[in-house]
Amino acid sequence: MQDRGAVVYEELNVLPEVLVIGCGTEGAAVALAVSESQPVTVIDNDSSRDGISLIEGKKNITVNTGVKVMGLEGFPGQFLVRFLDNGKHAKQNFGAIVVALEAQPSYDPAKYDGVKLGERILSLSQFQKNNRDYAGQKLAFILGQADQDSLLSFATVLSSAIALQEKGADVSILYDDMKVSADDLEQDYELARARGVNFLKYSGDLQIITTKVAATVLYWEPFLPQIKQIRLVSDCLVLAEDYIPNPGTADLAVALDVRTGPGGFFQDDNVHFLPVMSNREGIYFAGSCHGPIHGIELDKEVETVKAEVGRFASGKIRVPALQPQVNAEKCAVCLTCYRCCPHHAIEIVHDESLNNMYHSAARMNPLACRRCGTCAAECPGKAIQLPLYSDQEILEKVSKPPKLVAYACENSGSLAAEYARSLQPELQANLQIVPVPCSGKIDALYLIKALERGADGVMLLVCHKENCKYVWGNERADKRKEQVQRRLAEIGLEGDRVEIIHLAANQGNQFNTSVRSMVDKINQLGSNPGKVIK
Amino acid sequence: MIVVENKSVEDILQMIAPYKKVLVAGCYGCVTVCLAGGEKEVGLLASQIRMARQKEGNPIEVLEQTVERQCDKEYLDKFQDNVREVEAVVSLACGIGIQYLAEVVEPVPVFPGVNTQFLGANRDVGQWEEFCMACGECVLDKTGGLCPIARCSKHLLNGPCGGSQNGKCEVSKEIDCVWHLIYERLSALGQLEKMAEYIPAKNWHRNEGPRKLVKEELTLERD
Repeated sequence: MQDRGAVVYEELNVLPEVLVIGCGTEGAAVALAVSESQPVTVIDNDSSRDGISLIEGKKNITVNTGVKVMGLEGFPGQFLVRFLDNGKHAKQNFGAIVVALEAQPSYDPAKYDGVKLGERILSLSQFQKNNRDYAGQKLAFILGQADQDSLLSFATVLSSAIALQEKGADVSILYDDMKVSADDLEQDYELARARGVNFLKYSGDLQIITTKVAATVLYWEPFLPQIKQIRLVSDCLVLAEDYIPNPGTADLAVALDVRTGPGGFFQDDNVHFLPVMSNREGIYFAGSCHGPIHGIELDKEVETVKAEVGRFASGKIRVPALQPQVNAEKCAVCLTCYRCCPHHAIEIVHDESLNNMYHSAARMNPLACRRCGTCAAECPGKAIQLPLYSDQEILEKVSKPPKLVAYACENSGSLAAEYARSLQPELQANLQIVPVPCSGKIDALYLIKALERGADGVMLLVCHKENCKYVWGNERADKRKEQVQRRLAEIGLEGDRVEIIHLAANQGNQFNTSVRSMVDKINQLGSNPGKVIK
Repeated sequence: MIVVENKSVEDILQMIAPYKKVLVAGCYGCVTVCLAGGEKEVGLLASQIRMARQKEGNPIEVLEQTVERQCDKEYLDKFQDNVREVEAVVSLACGIGIQYLAEVVEPVPVFPGVNTQFLGANRDVGQWEEFCMACGECVLDKTGGLCPIARCSKHLLNGPCGGSQNGKCEVSKEIDCVWHLIYERLSALGQLEKMAEYIPAKNWHRNEGPRKLVKEELTLERD
């Protein structure tokens, strides 16, 4: 067993230079914050972005437009970015990368019964761009038909309404549900009410009628059910619209090999991921590139990103050397680990000292690696060992297993087991919990060895689907469960002796229910006839 | 790379039914790379064999060992110590390794643990495709770098045939028509005139029997 107290640290040289992709106001905000402590290069394919004037000529900031990212090599601290710079191939090294490609408003007439934009009907983004004087006019904003998932439209409409009202316009806001779940929004809402903005609640579909002199909304008010239709006549209607990813998003995701999620925005929909984190260390998302966000949220993200890339500012970074170690003698450089790594943390290195016929082996980068152990579990040559969770250390725990063995992800299963023990300790008397950093570390060998050595059943306690902290460890665990069930069926053993349970850290009760039903199942199946007790 | 697929454990159990002690022999070459015969698969198969035999009330002892390559005698010799201990060997190497090991460890019987499939390329984790049939007369210069022998269901040297529909082969919609791909590639290379070039039939009647290759420059004539 390795001494858990003695972690060795490595000091790595890193580049402080940060690449910010996107010259909109969000990219500019990131660049201004980061440039206080380290050099920043801001690039954009488009030379007309509205953030350029905010950062051009500023200390520590270089702005390059007409530049598109084509590819990325290397690891955090030492990324090599390949560009197409105004038609010419170029490359440059950076320590970290921040993606700040802004989302774009997109008016979809289908959300408003086919109404076309015009003189009296403006989209919210059109309204923001025009500087017309609305003093003495009636204006109505419609919320809730588009951009239902973010606070951005609410924030924009509330601040616009206050300003308009102050300039003498008569403003109404039609809404279905008022979303004010942020400090500043609650304040703006109170202020708008105090200034005399009319808040009108509607439910269901709206009808919009425009004439040369007015724009009218017909709506239904849920608290006045006896009135079939209410008519709101305005001089001008402003419609909230959806936000779509910047058109460069898909290409950039491929070039950087980072993941996109719902709506084509950056990042998976996964509660384990902090908003600014990508699936790769050293690459961060700020602002609406991962979904529309409003001012205060953006400020927080800029702060977080600044702190993250700030780790690279001194040119040195200290990390615990806990990444998996590769035994070159067993490494067939088959690329399985390289391809299965969710974090791009693996490279194949060539060195005469590596003792195999290729003089090559996989190597895990200590900065890029998040230590999930997926590589070690998938290695067909058993060449990879994750410190503190080596095969030897894990298999020692099941050398003489009780009836039931549970390999448990430390982000969910093993925490749920701990909680469950406080509820019903007797249930764990015949149960060996083996914690692993991620269910992606649960090797098919661990499952079959537990049964061979005497367990009657094996459980995999893994995070809920699409909820793995390491992207797809639980999906891989599921595949291995299927593989071992097939292998058991081949030798006439019941596949039911292996069970996967998806649960969260706080589901102690669910854990107990699952264990009880597993125990029942095993009791029905009887003792494992394949156990080989030495 | 040589691509292999694991045999069913049922078949393997039948082969080794008479024995009480066997060796499962892995290879760190192609079969590790194609995830079928490396140290991990050796461990999984060994456990399966032990459990299956235990269940039948006929326990068996299974040794496990993996060497660099089973297609080189020097590496095969590493098995000798373990082979002396056992009554039979199951090799997870390709057909080449299985035969060579059988030659080296005679009279201990060696059984195949895999079915050798083809010479192929790795598209992604767990995905391989046949690229070459080792015909011995390469025509890739005429076909834009796509092999019509290995990748056409009919091994046609002059294609496509009438079964090519929308880029797919009539044998299965899963199979790309390689002659369609050849057309597309030659067109991209600006060598479309090669489509009209007739490739004469190969002489399959050379009657050379099993092929041998000798590099004269490495062969001393001492003996």
